[in-house]
This record gives sequence, C-alpha cells and structure tokens, in this order.
Amino acid sequence: MTKMSRPLLAMAIMGAMTGAASADVIKVGVIGTMSGPYSLFGKNFKMGIDAWVAENGNKVGNHTVEFVYRDEESPNPAKSKALAQELLVKEKVQYLAGVYFTPNAMAIAPLLEESKTPLIVMNAATSAIVEKSPYIVRTSFTMWQNTVPAAKVAFKNSAKKVAIAVSDYGPGIDAEAAFKKTFEGEGGAIVEAVRIPLATTDFSPIMQRIKDSGADTIFTFLPSGPPTLGFVKAYLDNGLKVAGVKLMSTGDVVTEPDLPNIGDAGIGILSTYHYSVSHDSKENAAFLAQLKKGGASVDEVTMTSVAAYDGARLIYKMIEATDGKRDPAKAVDAVKDMKWVSPRGPVSIDPATRHIRQNVYLRSVAKVDGKLINKEEQTFADQPDWALSKQ
Amino acid sequence: MSDITMIHAPQKRVPFAQEAAGALTILALGAVGYFLYPDDLAFLTRLIGIAFLVLSLDLVTGYCGVATLGHAAQFGVGAYAAGIACIRGVTDPVALLGVGLVAGTIMGLISGALITRFRGLPQLVLSIAVGQLVAGLANKLSWLTGGSDGLSGIEPGKVFGVFGFDMYSRTGYLFSLAVLVITFVVLQRFVRSPFGLMCRGIKDDDLRAKMIGVSIYPRLVAMYGVAGAVAGIGGALTAISTGVVGLDSVSFERSAEVLVMLVLGGAGHLWGALAGTVIFMIFEHVVAAANPFHWMTMVGLLLILIVVFAPRGLIAPVMSLWTKMTRKGKAA
Repeated sequence: MTKMSRPLLAMAIMGAMTGAASADVIKVGVIGTMSGPYSLFGKNFKMGIDAWVAENGNKVGNHTVEFVYRDEESPNPAKSKALAQELLVKEKVQYLAGVYFTPNAMAIAPLLEESKTPLIVMNAATSAIVEKSPYIVRTSFTMWQNTVPAAKVAFKNSAKKVAIAVSDYGPGIDAEAAFKKTFEGEGGAIVEAVRIPLATTDFSPIMQRIKDSGADTIFTFLPSGPPTLGFVKAYLDNGLKVAGVKLMSTGDVVTEPDLPNIGDAGIGILSTYHYSVSHDSKENAAFLAQLKKGGASVDEVTMTSVAAYDGARLIYKMIEATDGKRDPAKAVDAVKDMKWVSPRGPVSIDPATRHIRQNVYLRSVAKVDGKLINKEEQTFADQPDWALSKQ
Repeated sequence: MSDITMIHAPQKRVPFAQEAAGALTILALGAVGYFLYPDDLAFLTRLIGIAFLVLSLDLVTGYCGVATLGHAAQFGVGAYAAGIACIRGVTDPVALLGVGLVAGTIMGLISGALITRFRGLPQLVLSIAVGQLVAGLANKLSWLTGGSDGLSGIEPGKVFGVFGFDMYSRTGYLFSLAVLVITFVVLQRFVRSPFGLMCRGIKDDDLRAKMIGVSIYPRLVAMYGVAGAVAGIGGALTAISTGVVGLDSVSFERSAEVLVMLVLGGAGHLWGALAGTVIFMIFEHVVAAANPFHWMTMVGLLLILIVVFAPRGLIAPVMSLWTKMTRKGKAA
C-alpha cells in the first residue's frame, strides 16, 4: 500500500504544484509576527501589502494574487519551517514573503530550492540570509547598512573616543562589529564595548561604566521597546547628556511609535536609518495616505510596512515576468537591477547580493508642530549592505 | 490514587499486551495523520518532537512529583548536540539520535543532581535557574551554537541510506513516528518496573518511602537521567527534521508551554502526556491558521476551561470512566 501510494502521492502533489502555473489564483504566503510582543511589526507587513494591493489591484495580467498570512510569533525556527512547508504543500503558494526574525528565515531557506519558490525577506536583518539561497531577495535593511554611516557621522562630528553598548544577540553583535570596523578604520578609538543582556531594565551601572571610560560619544543598538526607553532614560538621568556625552544609535532605538514615550528629553538624539515616517516626499505622503485609507493609524507605522509595500511590488513584477508560472530563476532575474522610488527614497536591488540598496539618513529627534519626529539632516545615498558588498 | 496504582500494576495474563496495544494505538493514529493529512506532515513531525519533551517532563513531574520550569534544557541540549554533530560531519540520522540521547542524558543527570536536592519552591526556582543557565550559554557560545541567529545548515543524510528528508516531511514524519513508538513502549515498561513504581511511591509519600529504607535522591537523579534521554531524543529529532536549532528550544517559554500541555492532558500518565501534546498543538495550529492575529486569546480560553472543568487533566475523566466500565464488566 505505502509503496504504491507514496510515489503516487508525490506525483499528485507535484502535479498540483505545477498545475498552479496555469491557474488563475496565485498565492503568496506571508509569515510574520502577527501576535505577541512583536505583533506591531507583523501588522505592518499586512498594512504595507494591503496598501500596495489597494493601489494596484489584486490582478497581474489575468492572474489573481492572494496573500495568505501565518503567525511566526517569536524566534522559533522549527515552527516557522513547518509553517512554510504547510504554505508550500497545502496552500500551494508560489511565493513566500515576510519573516521578522533571522533564525526563522534561516530555517525556511533550505526549502526554497526544492520547492522552486522565491522568498522576499521583509525584515530579518542579518547579512548572511541572502547567501543561504539564490531565490532570496530582501527589501528591508541590514545592521551593517545602517551602522556604517553612523560610524562615519560620529567621526565627522569629531568624536574621538566612543563607547559601544549593544544588546547581546545577533543584530547587536553585527552592529558592534560594523561600528568598530568603520570607526577604527577612519582613525577613531573605541574605549569601551558593553554587551547588554536582552532582559536588562536597569542601565545605570552601564552608564557609570561608560562615564568612567571617558568616552565622548555613545553608540548603541537595542531592539525597540522597553529596553530602548530604559536606556535613553538612564542616559539622561545619569547626567551624561549634561556632561556633553553624545548619543548615537540606529533608528531601531527611536522608532516613531516609541518617541512619545521617550518624550522631550530625547530631542537631539542622533540616529541613522533607512526610513523615517516623516520622510518628506510625495511617494511617502501618498503611501501614508493609502495606509490611513486602509484604516491604519500613522502612529503605528514602522519600517516593516515600507519593506512589505516594496516587497509586494517585487512579487507583482515577478508574477508579471513569469506570467504566473513557477520559475524562480526567471522571477529573481526579473527583479535584479530593479530601480524605483520607494516611500523611503530611491532604492534598487543589488544584482550581486539580491539585497536592497537604499539611502540611509542621519536624523535627529526634533519637535515639529508639537509632535516628536526623526528629522532627516543628512543623506548617505545608495548604501549597499556593507557586510556583503566588498567596496 | 488507588485507581492509578491498579492500572499500573503489572498484569500477568497476556505478556506485552499493554505494550502491543500502546504501539498499535500510536501507529493507528500515526497512519490517520499520514493518510488523511498528507499536507500537514511538517506540523505533525514538529508535534511528535514536542511530544517527547512532554513525555520526558511527565517522567519527572508526573511520576516523581518534581516541579520544574526548566525542562527545555534537556531538549535543547539534545537538539544542539545533534545539530553540531551533523554540521561537523556525523550525518547519519540514527547516529544523530544517539548523540541527542547521550547529550540529553548527561544534561538530565546534571540538572537532576542539582534540582532534586530540594523540595518545593527552592526546587522550582533552581529548575528555572538551570534552564536559564543553559539558555544563556546557548546564546553566549555563538561560535558553537549560532547564538540568536540559530544553528543552521543541518543537513542529515538518508535514513538507513534510503529515505531522504524532503519538504513534504514524509521521511521525517515516519522516522519520528517509529522512534516515538519504540520510546513509548520502552517507557510503558519502564514506569511499571519496580524502579518506576518506587518513584511513584516517592511522589505519593517521600517520608514513607524513606522509612522503608529507600534512598530517594539517587533514584530521582536516575529518573532525571532517563527523562533527559527521552527529551534528548526529541531534541535530536526536531533538529534533524527542521534543519535548524534556535534559542527557542532552550527557552523558558518552551518549558512553560510543555508544562501546560502536560497539565492539560493529565500528569502521571504517559497517555495523558501524549493526549495533552496532541490536543494543545492541534488546537493552537488550527486557531492560529484561522486567525493569525488573535489566536492566543482562544488558547487562553481553552486553558481556563480545562482548569475549571478538568483540573486533573483530560485523561482523568477518561480513566475513571474506563475503570467504571471494566468494573461493571467484571461484576456482570
């Protein structure tokens, strides 16, 4: 029984999968953090995709596109892989997208070649992900991409001695390495490097250590949420700001939904990031208007909605290029070299790395019309992922 | 309690009848999963992996009365050991299971030696500490474990050189199911052995056990070792079928979640552990797919209902019904 049925079953499934090429509905599986502490970012995936669909319709040629959502919840690679398999085998999706956490993306990567499915990563920011499969394209950012300009700015602002304080996990360690390499390359000195456990809430001892190190600038990366607030508060309360020690970070520390909680004391904090909700362009204005029309509040917009919006653009382009057939190589080729103006500014897909090239902005927290925003002050044009591109 | 001891008392009439029944039941359920839900095998494989951890927890919590919130440590150490071995060149799945088993046993003996020295709250706190220690190490030793990025690139070879692992998870599922059946049968035997019954006695009344001359501590540590072996197998299976090991496999949440599953099914019964895993995971899977945004509320509701209406787990009412029926049968 099993001997006969297994190949039959395999053929039936393969048949169903290739059959999807001529079918009218093309499914896209989106895996994101839809519940739990990171649900804001998963919700933003959906907001961004919905905005794209609202603007461009749910049809590419005569193919109807349907998005199927699954909840990755937390860094849980086993669960994410099972979800991806379910989407591929049961829902017969032709594209996978989303993914908030790096380990989850790593778990999904080995499935792509076997199932001939492209994956559009809309967040997971460890550089190496795109190297795990030729069918991965990323529309978010990497820590290296955002940190290298921060180090350059710090050096230009005549910082001599920098203390680095990062969360003790993958992205934090990436940020530390990127900052250290760039800053020392420019000729500056790192006097202290602290790795903070993720669960830390009391940052006073760390501030004391930084004070004692004689640093004139702090560079920090922490995942947005309660730790970032605690860190900024400790920086202010321990008198470091008054003593003239500057605070630099990537935009993760000062995401727009968090700014009201940091309050006016945060004015002047510098950060480098690829997207500010207050970015002044007609594309961004139209994007925010579309999000509002879809029922979203501008106060909860984060970088993941833009990554999802641009990701949906790539998926539409892929479907158009392959005419709805399952042909991942052709699909990925179609978006390499693609250039367009995103709500975050001009962007392009780097054909060598399949990672997005984009402007990185130096911003400072400022109060405009009674509202705290990240005001863009300087643009670093066309930044690659510095860890992948050897330039 | 007398009900339970009756059920677990060795039955002399047909040798291996219970084991055969257990194996056949699991195989039948497994076949149902394989043939009726061929598209969900990836999920079912993950479920079986977790079932090992719940069974393992049942051994220490249900059979020995040890309160622990750090049991994922054994599972995670097994998973990491198998994953690391696979990346360093040991790709045979059966050998990897062995690696997971040994690593899990060692971890079990270590945590058992620490945790079972105490009773009550200190024990619970210590179990959390051990779990957190392992989680901290897994994060810190990122050159070995991949840290928070997870240990990826685990590509096990074919089972017996014939059946390869693919994205449909057929091999992964059948392999896991086979290992589960073997483990379950062995455990059924084990919990009714004099050693297993003695552990049960220690749980019910450790003072009395002491009075009749049982040294409790070494027994509990040994039981922890066995539980570690079971959890280690589960960890290795998950590592093999997923190809990635993440920090979640040693996390506090994992420990707490499996405790919930065990309580749901009914601690102190191997079937309770299995039933709890199956019900919890399937319920979670179905509601999470139906509504990815608000499914956690539904899971919370289920737990409240269970605690209110079946505080001793779902298996308890089933068991009492079963004994009632068999007694009636005897009377007639």
